[in-house]
Amino acid sequence: MIKTQGRRPSGVRGGQRHQRPGDAGAGLLFLAPWLLGMLLLTIGPMLASLYLSFTDYNLFDTPEWIGLENYQRMFDDPRYLRSVTVTAGYVALAVPLKLAAALGVALLLNRPRLGQGLYRSAFYAPSLIGASVSLSLVWKSIFSDGAIVDRGLGAIGLDTGGWVGRPEFSLPMLVLLAAWQFGGPMVIFLAGLKQIPGELYEAAAVDGAGPWRRFRAITLPMLSPVLFFNLLLEIIGAFQVFTSAFVIATGAAGGGGPAGSTLLYTVYLYGRGFVDFRMGYASAMAWMLVLGVGLVTALLFRTSRMWVHYAGDRA
Amino acid sequence: MTSIKRFRTALAALLLAGGLTACGGGDDAGGDVTLRFSWWGNADRAALMQQSIDLFQAAHPTITVTPSFQEFEAYWQKMATETAGGNAPDVLQMDFAYLREYADRNVLLDLKKTGVKVDDLIPAFQGVGEVNGALYGIPTGGNTWCMFYNPKLLTEAGVEEPRTGITWDQYHALLDTVSKKGAGRTYGGSNYRSVIYSFESYLLQAGATLYTGGGKLGFSKQQLIDYWTVGKQYIDDGRFIPSEKVAQIEPASPITKDLIATEFRWDNFFARYASETEAELKIGPVPVTTAGGPTGQYLKPAMLLSASARTDHPDEAAKLISFLINDPQVGRIFGSNRGIPATNAQRDAAVLEGPALAIAEYEEAIAPLLQKAPPAPPKGAGTIEAAFLRIADEISYGRSSVPDAVDTFFTEAEDTLAG
Repeated sequence: MIKTQGRRPSGVRGGQRHQRPGDAGAGLLFLAPWLLGMLLLTIGPMLASLYLSFTDYNLFDTPEWIGLENYQRMFDDPRYLRSVTVTAGYVALAVPLKLAAALGVALLLNRPRLGQGLYRSAFYAPSLIGASVSLSLVWKSIFSDGAIVDRGLGAIGLDTGGWVGRPEFSLPMLVLLAAWQFGGPMVIFLAGLKQIPGELYEAAAVDGAGPWRRFRAITLPMLSPVLFFNLLLEIIGAFQVFTSAFVIATGAAGGGGPAGSTLLYTVYLYGRGFVDFRMGYASAMAWMLVLGVGLVTALLFRTSRMWVHYAGDRA
Repeated sequence: MTSIKRFRTALAALLLAGGLTACGGGDDAGGDVTLRFSWWGNADRAALMQQSIDLFQAAHPTITVTPSFQEFEAYWQKMATETAGGNAPDVLQMDFAYLREYADRNVLLDLKKTGVKVDDLIPAFQGVGEVNGALYGIPTGGNTWCMFYNPKLLTEAGVEEPRTGITWDQYHALLDTVSKKGAGRTYGGSNYRSVIYSFESYLLQAGATLYTGGGKLGFSKQQLIDYWTVGKQYIDDGRFIPSEKVAQIEPASPITKDLIATEFRWDNFFARYASETEAELKIGPVPVTTAGGPTGQYLKPAMLLSASARTDHPDEAAKLISFLINDPQVGRIFGSNRGIPATNAQRDAAVLEGPALAIAEYEEAIAPLLQKAPPAPPKGAGTIEAAFLRIADEISYGRSSVPDAVDTFFTEAEDTLAG
């Protein structure tokens, strides 16, 4: 019995790849920290939260099974519905703006010029400090009443009276913060631009195509896989935005202010779980988010067939 | 390239593995007891707390206290998760609004079963912190709802400083005058009608309460409609500072930025406000419905000390709480930082000056006007307090009509109270 499962002496079969006996063990050993982390810190909590989403759980008492009630209640919860609307608006505004900025700057930085490295680092820097609390605070201070943006706009006759406290301006302010951090997709766009063969442009120029035509006919199609990748990544990220809204728009009592205008999905989810002690409901919300993002991603993949061109594709 | 990558991965793995094993190494100092003590506050309070803990440890050499603190909001989020994980600290600072929330869920120790010393509490605090006959928290100090005002702004508007006995009608006239003088730069006050404690004092003046003894809402929809309708009217006619301006400066208060002349708050905020502004602020009365009528003010525990029901060291926890409540040296160290002290011994020992003295003098002056404190608020009071502010804010911004907002509030509040 043992024999049949015994390890084959290494290197017997001439044609097979040679494998030393310790390799698999060492591989597993080095994989172990990641594997453990994945199981204990990701898969485990996810399964727990899936279970909790079917319960009434207030963090203190034993969870009580209530089936689909949490999911049903969402559709009668005006704050939940508002958080969905606000988040959809945020994604629809922030993602295109950020990608447009990233592509625009990538095109500018693609041509060799003096100090290119410096420019690239400078534009990338804001993304490094990404979702930090301090950055959100700085953002809040520059958009406040009488601060630099307010005074600047006032000087050209657009008196806003500060963006932070106004429901109609607070979400655009968060969108601008997201767009300003375009460094991540910009770097990926730059890499994509490098892959486009220069001969294509030369040939097009010889044929008399202007810059706009060259951009439409060469750059965009050649860049479409990269564009698709960035779009996907940014949409998934935008659905989960939290820090900026949580820090800037604390509003009256627990985020989402002023007047619920920045009640993003995750902000409401967090409030339900950790402020109102409705952890079952918050878990259900988290799973609805997973479903929603999954759905949007699937849709994107479907439509991508129409506009993403891979090398070697036949049109 | 690949070899560097492989090296990096190996290094990361080693570091991670090292981190994991390091977590396992707990060390016990033989026989001695270690108490975990959590509280909310800032660096100032941390220094005072450490001095007090040092004194306690000097008196009880076998007990080690490991303190930790956060800001108020973060404190309650951490407390909720720690408690849920069965890992609550041995001794913790408690808020009146959360007392029943935690007590009803059996996470707090009944301090009557320990040797905690409460006989020196001032009369108004005897029995405060009891829920269903068990003692779950002991107040460290008290505060009352009151008005802060900026005499300079009032004088500039040609208005007299508010005196005890001022009626709501007179106060609203004052708001009108000051706001008109302020011409869009300064205002009479902020929308006090969006704050649940102002509503509570209004109810107490009318002989009603926020919550019934059975943990239901103690007022009618119509009462809240009336209350918020007037609030909306004063937003519209400019007596109150617009919400946009308040949101800009959060978490600071508009009175500390010289934007408004009056604001209602708990009196222990006075010390903080005084430190945040150049303006000279004063503490004033809560207006009354009819001259000589009740003010609806009562002495609320500013914060309480509780112990975890799961602590392994209930007696030591009780010793620490007793020490922090009763020891005169601790009273001297804290002054009014935790509210005006709750025990006679600490009141006598506290040397009060500046804002602290102003609070103490105010509390002494209004002592005859104080009413009996309502029972500890029901489970979910913290959530309801936040909902009140948020929903009233929707009215201020013109995003919701008053009757709709009241309906929303009642739905949310009743849902919360139902558990």
